[in-house]
Amino acid sequence: MTAIPIPSEAERRSNQAFDALLTALSRPGSIQRLPQPGEASIIEALLDRECRVFCADPLLMPIVLATGAIVADLPAADHVFAGALQDLDVVNGLDLGSHLYPDDGATLVVRAVLGQGPKLRLTGPGIETTVEVTVGSLPEGFWDLRRQRIRYPMGFDLFLVDGDWVLGMPRSTQVEVL
Amino acid sequence: MSLATLTKNWEPMSYGFLDASAKREIRRKMLKAVAVPGCQMPYASREVPMARGWGTGGLQVSLTLMNPSKRVKVIDQGADDSVNAASIRRFLARVSGAPTTLDTLEADLIQSRHRIPEEKLREDQVLVLQVPNPEPLRPVQPNMSIARQMHADADYGRMWLQLYEQIVRSGRVMQGASYPSLVNGRHVMTPSPIPRWDVPKLHMAKHLTILSAGREKRIHAVPPFTRVEPLVFDDVPYKVEDHGGLTCNRSGAKGFFMNEIPQDDGSSTYEISDSEFGVKTIKQAEGERVEFGETWYTDGEMPS
Repeated sequence: MTAIPIPSEAERRSNQAFDALLTALSRPGSIQRLPQPGEASIIEALLDRECRVFCADPLLMPIVLATGAIVADLPAADHVFAGALQDLDVVNGLDLGSHLYPDDGATLVVRAVLGQGPKLRLTGPGIETTVEVTVGSLPEGFWDLRRQRIRYPMGFDLFLVDGDWVLGMPRSTQVEVL
Repeated sequence: MSLATLTKNWEPMSYGFLDASAKREIRRKMLKAVAVPGCQMPYASREVPMARGWGTGGLQVSLTLMNPSKRVKVIDQGADDSVNAASIRRFLARVSGAPTTLDTLEADLIQSRHRIPEEKLREDQVLVLQVPNPEPLRPVQPNMSIARQMHADADYGRMWLQLYEQIVRSGRVMQGASYPSLVNGRHVMTPSPIPRWDVPKLHMAKHLTILSAGREKRIHAVPPFTRVEPLVFDDVPYKVEDHGGLTCNRSGAKGFFMNEIPQDDGSSTYEISDSEFGVKTIKQAEGERVEFGETWYTDGEMPS
């Protein structure tokens, strides 16, 4: 009889973080729980030497570097950890992929406050009719710029992290600021 | 930074068979596949101890999602007990320590070849479909670079032409399985060779579906509550297989997708394709208490 495999702590964290990310992205507007607060578990679950990463938060840099990911300029990065957004430069510089390869569009991870701030109404795949969420501490004009930049299927996919909460917003989601 | 922080403890094998970098790559691609429903995302497709074309794509997705608390069900053409399904189920359980089940209602993760169970899937369930050929344009455009350009341009005219030619030649659409379907109004996908009977189950479903082709190295997904519309002409409505009136001659279940069993005298009998649903029907007839989930079809009709 072979021994029953037991996941290591790192494997358990990555698996749980990915479960949260996948559920968050397939059900935009639903808040999922990461195994630990902050972006660290996301970095651990997704990044390795094949990734090009732009990281604006110096505190996250050591975690990113430990994965072996290549540190890249914003337009060349496939994963962008912007920390708390001060302005919209990051959104303006993101790689959106191409119509041939929409998967080249970047994944943007931003820190925000979930549960307070402006009210948003979301529609699109993953949402039965509409869902309303409140997302605070994003710069003025963020959602307008997102709408202008995304040319579906080109675009970027957004994760909003607040402590150990994560909210996903794929490029297919339409956001209306109420 | 010291050497100790860069190394990991020795393990006899990587949990869930795939190594960590393979899982991370599949994770990244699954997220992109969910973000652009129906669009085929290329991935590396690692070696697994099974020949390509026997469900390696689905297996890799399942291995990435597995953890010891995920209950897994594997079906092959509706049956839980075929060799392919049984060996994949045993492999998944052995490398992940996860419990297995045959009951659709109990499963957290369902890996399937060519069928969607007859009982409705819930929001917390994930369906992984094994895909032999992920490219719906292949019959009309064998060059995959040109096919990719056609997807980029949403140039699906030839798909319509193909359907039109079938109607002109045969009087009806001959496409039996993997019926081309428009996802989220943008990408045409092949829903893996599920019968026409199963395609409407993907439309605005509650569950997440991930379709993965191991040999072809592509992944695509249908998120929950996403429009999946089979390509049809306005005046030629979409038709599912005419199985609504058939009765399973082993279980007595009526109004579900059937396997046709040819008989010596040239006639046919029918058996329900979703084997566990048949088993439950038999158990109920024998007086056992069994729990049935809500089914997509009632009395052989899909309520619209």
